[in-house]
Amino acid sequence: MENNIILLVSATITFQDLWPAAALMLGLGTGFAVVLLIASIKLSIQEDPKVQAIYAALPKIECGTCGFAGCTAYAKAVAANAELLGKCSPGGADAMNKIAAILNLQISGSGAPQRPIVHCRARREDKTFFAEYKGIPACTAANAQPPVQACAFGCLGFGDCVRSCKFDALNIVDGLTTVNYEKCTGCGACSKACPRFLIKMVPFAYDPIVTVACSSRESGKNTRAFCKVGCIGCGICAKQTDLFTVTENLSTMNYEKYTPSEAINTAMTKCPTKVIVHRGKAAPADVSPQPAANAS
Amino acid sequence: MDFAVNLMLGFVGIVLINNFVFTKFLGTCPYLGVSGRLDMAFGMGLAVTFVTTLAGALTWLIDNLFLIPYHLEITRYVCYILVIAGAVQLVEMYLKKFFPPLYESFGIFLPLITTNCVILGLCLFLNLWEIRSFLMAVVLSFGAGMGFTMAICIMAGIRENLEMADIPECLKGAPITLITAGLLTLGFMGFAGMIK
Repeated sequence: MENNIILLVSATITFQDLWPAAALMLGLGTGFAVVLLIASIKLSIQEDPKVQAIYAALPKIECGTCGFAGCTAYAKAVAANAELLGKCSPGGADAMNKIAAILNLQISGSGAPQRPIVHCRARREDKTFFAEYKGIPACTAANAQPPVQACAFGCLGFGDCVRSCKFDALNIVDGLTTVNYEKCTGCGACSKACPRFLIKMVPFAYDPIVTVACSSRESGKNTRAFCKVGCIGCGICAKQTDLFTVTENLSTMNYEKYTPSEAINTAMTKCPTKVIVHRGKAAPADVSPQPAANAS
Repeated sequence: MDFAVNLMLGFVGIVLINNFVFTKFLGTCPYLGVSGRLDMAFGMGLAVTFVTTLAGALTWLIDNLFLIPYHLEITRYVCYILVIAGAVQLVEMYLKKFFPPLYESFGIFLPLITTNCVILGLCLFLNLWEIRSFLMAVVLSFGAGMGFTMAICIMAGIRENLEMADIPECLKGAPITLITAGLLTLGFMGFAGMIK
């Protein structure tokens, strides 16, 4: 050992000292290269090029919306069973078309990407409260308690959906969940997190899309008493176009058949509580009727 | 006969008394990283055992046939790492072919066996302890791997139960794992001095 140190420190290293080490390293390296080469041939596995191509077409965000453990697992499943096509909502039509091309399939029907819409637009100042809630700050907890917020259908604003979102696409603005459609991938985690089922996944064939941003099935009188921006079920919108149907004091939009039209614009302007609004990337900023509303 | 007894004692010694994880604190990274589930921990242990046995035997041969006779001890580390990396590559290919789920669940920890200190540590200790018999070197290498497997499996078993335990918020995750590792080490100190 001491010899080695002395050799390193003082002696001028000549070729004579160097060549055995170099030869040894070369020999060892070559030996292992050969062994690994043989092993890689013997142990090679046939990976399905289809699976790899499908995986490449997927968004690779590993959200699990498709019901599989991840994008790799879904790619394998689709390659084996084409019926599973179209389960990838973040990928939407784009990914579906690519996969269909790889699998040599024709696809029919609309492949609009699914995006969440919050069916409530009441900010804190629009709502009526019976008391101040001081419990656990979570929607599931607040929803299990006797009502503190008058509207039993509206957004509670404690952000269970915000915590469920992996992509930072949700925010609570003035006690109301707001979706950032630029960041949203449509994985659907928020719609599962909401204890009041306010967030529904909707096919976004058009952007912006028009929605009735309310879920209240209270009578019109109660809705008016509890919330300044609730749907009172008056049916004025349904008279304009049959895309709106009023059931249980609540108007709903038929998203599957939605196309922008003048009748819808008329319905929006005629709506007495202005609850019919645009949602999506290109939607105008949602300003509350109140003057002090925060539009961001 | 004496030699056989020596082999036995060597094996028990390296598994229990001089366990690399518990007494030398080598290989702590996979020991804490892959010990979340028992089946994965066992798989990891077997992979490491395979690599230690192969690498220990090969490095002993290289050491005694080339490095010492030709006074090339200076290249020891490089040679050892070369051997270990090659062995890990072999294991990786084998697992990918025959145990794909295990391969996928290991993820980055499989190629990282290359840098598992147990293996390089063992190869260097074989030299340091002046093991002059090939059979002994193989037994010790295998024993080191088995010791690692035992340690990681005990840890995984405890951690699986810890999942259900009511742990204070501040201790959840890494802290309780490290405390567990420390207590385990204390327990294994009891074996010290069992074999003279």
